[in-house]
Amino acid sequence: MTDPQQTVADAVLVDHVSHVYGSGPSAHHALADLAFAVKPGEFVSIVGPSGAGKTTLLRTLAGLLTPTEGAVWVDGRRTNGVPPGMAMVFQDYSRSLLPWLTVEKNVAFPLGGSSIPKPERRAIVAEALEAVGLGGFGKRYPWQLSGGMQQRVAIARALAYRPSLMLMDEPFASVDAQTREGLEDLVLKIRDTYGMTILFVTHDIDESVYLANRVLVLSRPPARIVEDIAVDLPEPRDQITTRENPDFIHLRGHVARLIHGGGEPA
Amino acid sequence: MAGPSTRVLATRALRASAERPRWVRGLVSVAYFVVPLVVVVGLWQLATMLGRNPFFPQPFAIIGNLWTLLFGSEKAVQDVFVGQFLATVGRMALGFAIGAAWGVVVGTIMGLWRGAREVVSPIVEFLRSIPATATLPLFIILLGGGDDMRVVFIAYGVSWFVLINTAQGVGSIHKTMLDLGRVFRVSPARRLFAIVLPAALPKIFAGLRIASTAALLLAIVSEFMLALNGIGFSLVVAQSRFNLLSMWSWMLALAILGLLINSLLEFIERRLLSWHRLSRQRT
Repeated sequence: MTDPQQTVADAVLVDHVSHVYGSGPSAHHALADLAFAVKPGEFVSIVGPSGAGKTTLLRTLAGLLTPTEGAVWVDGRRTNGVPPGMAMVFQDYSRSLLPWLTVEKNVAFPLGGSSIPKPERRAIVAEALEAVGLGGFGKRYPWQLSGGMQQRVAIARALAYRPSLMLMDEPFASVDAQTREGLEDLVLKIRDTYGMTILFVTHDIDESVYLANRVLVLSRPPARIVEDIAVDLPEPRDQITTRENPDFIHLRGHVARLIHGGGEPA
Repeated sequence: MAGPSTRVLATRALRASAERPRWVRGLVSVAYFVVPLVVVVGLWQLATMLGRNPFFPQPFAIIGNLWTLLFGSEKAVQDVFVGQFLATVGRMALGFAIGAAWGVVVGTIMGLWRGAREVVSPIVEFLRSIPATATLPLFIILLGGGDDMRVVFIAYGVSWFVLINTAQGVGSIHKTMLDLGRVFRVSPARRLFAIVLPAALPKIFAGLRIASTAALLLAIVSEFMLALNGIGFSLVVAQSRFNLLSMWSWMLALAILGLLINSLLEFIERRLLSWHRLSRQRT
């Protein structure tokens, strides 16, 4: 059992979570007894071989999936369904944005059911769009924008929700390399401005190290944590100097070896 | 930089596809529709003038007769336009509305829940295989020969098209879009009305278009039996009196009615689904 007194400090606590899809001989063991904690304001990357159950883990954290065993605690509360104060940025921006709504209305969408008065709501939306560099694009439709800009809209929507925890599921997997660097720095900037906790799933090893304070390396399924690596690189991160830093090069090599070894300790 | 509006972008896209001013393209599209009609009517007129045939009256006589039938006198407007023409339109519209609503409701349930789909699908597949027109005798026995029977009959026949399309549209919504609603803790009602139904709307509309054609067909067929008024009734009466001119006039009335309904739905669709059309032109 976990002592609730202890969990108050953790933004996220994964308490011995296992997940099995199906049953009998065809059952797929996706997660095996995962346990880790994330402190408020921490940026944690989750990497692993493809098919390692990264998405299963994220869906479990989001409360979209109930784990077969164990529990997830968010802000000291054991979650049952989707916890409040949590936003998510999906990989597939073309499907996570609603094409019949303008950019503005997409960003305002999560606020629709809330009691926030209209003028304030408009201000929140404008601020969120400004924060992702899309001020002035509110009246456009998502499909009129490039992929990178669409993902910015999705990030703005998450911001407008004012989350304390943001989950990102391979958010930059389908944008080109240059756009991607811009988006990475945007996420870091947002983290500093809003002071939220971010869990970031990616299959890009460099990205995982560049962004995070910690990298969790998962094994092949059933996924366990192979290593919990602290990333102690100078802040603020910089696309050129950080990537030149010998510690960065060493860390990315270490993570790559772990993943290519199928998540077995080297 | 303030971006161009949706409409501007849309017009620009259209313009790029046909490098002509708008009014020329408008004229061309009207001409494509009108010219073949005029040619056929002209040939028909010519043929009927050369060799008289009681079964094929002159087209201008048919048009003139239709006008006299519907609007020839104040009494005609009351008895024929309102009493026959609008009677059919009313039945059709009511049957269509009820059938469409039922189809959207059941289709949405089937699209959202696999359990419901698996239970209901075989029944749907079986029932919709019976030609709707073949169920008219049953409806007459169950509900009598009145107007309510006709409305229910139309609603029944129409509902399948909407139901199948809605179920497909709702069932094929991407999981990410559904997750989105849950992740941001959007209420179930708002998830239904603000995510599920708009996302399925293009498919639902495709169903409504087919259903509108079916509604007219079923309205006419339902008036062939035990009816006291309506276009279908007038057709049968004209036939039994061997009044071929009026028979042709009523068929012309149906053609015009069908065109009007189709244009109306097309108009609504263009307004409601411009996002769908434009987003697809992009990709």
